Amino acid sequence: MTTPPSPRESVPVLQVRDIVKTYGGVTALNGVSLDLFPGEVLCLAGENGCGKSTLIKIISGVEKPDSGEIIVDGVAHPAMQPADAIKSGIQVIYQDFSLFPNLTVAENIVLTSAVADRRRLYSPAGSRPAAQAIVDELGLDLDLDADVDSLSVADKQLTAICRALVSDARVIVMDEPTTALTHTEVERLFALVQRLRDRGVALVFVSHKLDEVLQVSQRVTVLRSGRHVITADAATLDPRSVARHMTGRDVDDSRSVGLVPVEGPPVLEVVDLSLTGAYEGISFTLRRGEVLGVTGLLGSGRTEIAESLFGVLPAERGTVRVDGQEVRLHTIRDAVRAGIGYVPEDRLSQGLFMDRSIADNMIAGSLDAHRTRWRTVDRAGTRTTIRGLFDRLRIKAPNVAAPVRSLSGGNAQRVVLAKWLATKPKVLMLNGPTVGVDVGSKEEILAILRAEAAAGMGVIVISDDAPELVASCHRVLVIRQGRLAHTLEGEGISVDTIRERVAA
Amino acid sequence: MSRTDQTPPQAVADGGRAPGSLLSRVQADRSVTRMVVLVVVAFAFFAVLNPRVFLSSINLQNIAISSPEIGVLALAMMLAMLTGGIDLSLVSIANLSAITISTLFTAVGENDPALAQSLAPLFVLAGIGVGLLGGLVNGFLVSRVGITPILATLGTMQAFNGLAVVWTGGTVLYGSPDSLTSLGQTAIAGVPVLFVVLLVTAAVVAVVVNRTPIGRKVQLQGANPVAARYSGIDSRQVLMRTYLISGALGGLAGVLFLSRNPTASADYGASYVLLVIVIAVLGGTNPNGGFATVTGVVLATLTLQIVASGFTAIRLSSYQYAIAQGAILIAVMVIDQVRWRRRPPRRRAGTSQASTPA
Repeated sequence: MTTPPSPRESVPVLQVRDIVKTYGGVTALNGVSLDLFPGEVLCLAGENGCGKSTLIKIISGVEKPDSGEIIVDGVAHPAMQPADAIKSGIQVIYQDFSLFPNLTVAENIVLTSAVADRRRLYSPAGSRPAAQAIVDELGLDLDLDADVDSLSVADKQLTAICRALVSDARVIVMDEPTTALTHTEVERLFALVQRLRDRGVALVFVSHKLDEVLQVSQRVTVLRSGRHVITADAATLDPRSVARHMTGRDVDDSRSVGLVPVEGPPVLEVVDLSLTGAYEGISFTLRRGEVLGVTGLLGSGRTEIAESLFGVLPAERGTVRVDGQEVRLHTIRDAVRAGIGYVPEDRLSQGLFMDRSIADNMIAGSLDAHRTRWRTVDRAGTRTTIRGLFDRLRIKAPNVAAPVRSLSGGNAQRVVLAKWLATKPKVLMLNGPTVGVDVGSKEEILAILRAEAAAGMGVIVISDDAPELVASCHRVLVIRQGRLAHTLEGEGISVDTIRERVAA
Repeated sequence: MSRTDQTPPQAVADGGRAPGSLLSRVQADRSVTRMVVLVVVAFAFFAVLNPRVFLSSINLQNIAISSPEIGVLALAMMLAMLTGGIDLSLVSIANLSAITISTLFTAVGENDPALAQSLAPLFVLAGIGVGLLGGLVNGFLVSRVGITPILATLGTMQAFNGLAVVWTGGTVLYGSPDSLTSLGQTAIAGVPVLFVVLLVTAAVVAVVVNRTPIGRKVQLQGANPVAARYSGIDSRQVLMRTYLISGALGGLAGVLFLSRNPTASADYGASYVLLVIVIAVLGGTNPNGGFATVTGVVLATLTLQIVASGFTAIRLSSYQYAIAQGAILIAVMVIDQVRWRRRPPRRRAGTSQASTPA
């Protein structure tokens, strides 16, 4: 990344001054200040609950600060409304992008600004050129007539960025922009970010993927427990030091696994598994006590393989044996019965019952196992299971009756994990186990997985997070275009080898 | 790995909504408390307006006798709504059940009246069996074929009702076992047996919903069907059983129809379909599924029956009662909305919160 013409000399486009925000006695932000200059990328880093979301909400006018002010172009806004924020050129791109899936790309790009202008009639013919202009200017390859529903995550993101620019955004806040992108897509996004900076747009990135964010940011601001910890040039930081500022302690992401436990009996044997259009001839063996990584680009087939083993997307050919016993995996029920659990990638919609309690979520997969002879739920038994897992996984919540919606990403993920551990699976597959989970929690979740494996379970981690694979896996399978391209073992597992093999 | 230097994450992310952390329990308590207040208010209101008629034992008996059939249907509706569905065919099923019992009784009674009387329990089972059959059709359409519940049961409602009209030739069938009729007129310590039937049914439904694996699965299915599937819950089985149970309750309602009134026809209780939806929602059932309380539904049934008989007591028509029904439902929904709005907004970030922590 080339260094921009020192932004510090220009006037800040956005200033945040001494923001204090409390929610019913809990201080979410305590005197936080920051400046944002045109043409720079500022990374906002911090663990769950450090106040990042609250700060973004205040900047975008969704929440009002108790004290402090937001200054946009020298105009102070003590109580900004969302409409003011948009008018001042502040746009937030959330993780779900807030697009209309049933409308075309062009309509999505143009419509919100048309609505904001209170235009009464929408003219497709008149709007298209505006959309086309932005797309051309940024040099994007976006099909304006495609339904947003049919786009890849990366293209949806581009659509959202274009929409922000049509509304003359000068500050774009992006929430976890790289989470759902492949390595190549991230590169494309960062190239676009460079062009946005040339236009004088200032960007705020909120992200957990520290190494990526450091690559594109000029400055980094770290929050911890609602306080500003440090703002420093990105060049002076590395992921480890940022993590230290975030957690207030040293985070160990080094490799802490030994060799494959050869003595462990095979718990899962997959032979020549194939599904047309997804993957072909996949064979591997998972031993008891082993943590096996499966990686590859998005669309390489890594998720499909897991979904086949979980019965969501039955394979066409091949055999699967659990504990030496051949199993048929046509439905999720088949997989669960065979002792295979799956923590899905999309935790919110596939993994959790958001409005229900932690307890209800934990027991959701093992209701039939907790049954009295009167066929009612064994309440004492469920209570023991729930209590045990709640403590074992160190879920931070006031009690097990708290709704999952109130939990942070890391704790919500532990609840999904607990749901499967309650079924006492032989094989547990986790797809993106630490996506949207902060550094400290991530380390703990990986430690839990290692411990569960050591206790005799077979664990499969599907992930594109190379450091995570290095930290937790005995072996790593690299999937490329639906085929098993490499098996990395022992010393062969390093962040560099994984990235190289995945992209090759 | 303690994080001593950090505020507990959820305390901040929660935005201080800690008091709402017992969401479902608070919700349950709230809808029950609300219904208790409504029952008392409605009762007091009419008792004050026209104590002589309203507080007469005949009127109170009437409330207790007319509530059960509606209450049982409302419980059946509640179950379907708990999965996120609805069952519009319940009243048609109830009528088919009543018609089946009446027809069987009359047919057997033509040759041997005494036998017909003694076979009453069998006829009742047949009625409930008809309900199960209706539920089986609904369950098949919803869980196997995958038709949206509102459309599937709209179809079966029309079909079952048409079947009843063709069967009866559009006439009213007379004839019902004496034991049923006397059951409808008996009271234990002043409490009509029919009302006891409602309470027992409610208790059974409550146990099934809250204390059995299938009941918990029904709740989870309604709360998030996708997550339910990904938790290894067999959605098809859950939906099938739900509609079977609600069908059986529809059949039971048919038995109650006959006990109150020894006649059966295709168009009895035509206004009940929407009424029981109103009751279910009023009783705290979330129309999107995943939440309901049996107590709330029973109390809502009583409230509307009190208002209905109260309107009669102060000489208002059934049309004015219909206005009141709608007004009560909307008023309760408005109060709910106001209460929600007073809390910190349930912003969209609430969803992204878990994935994009702080």
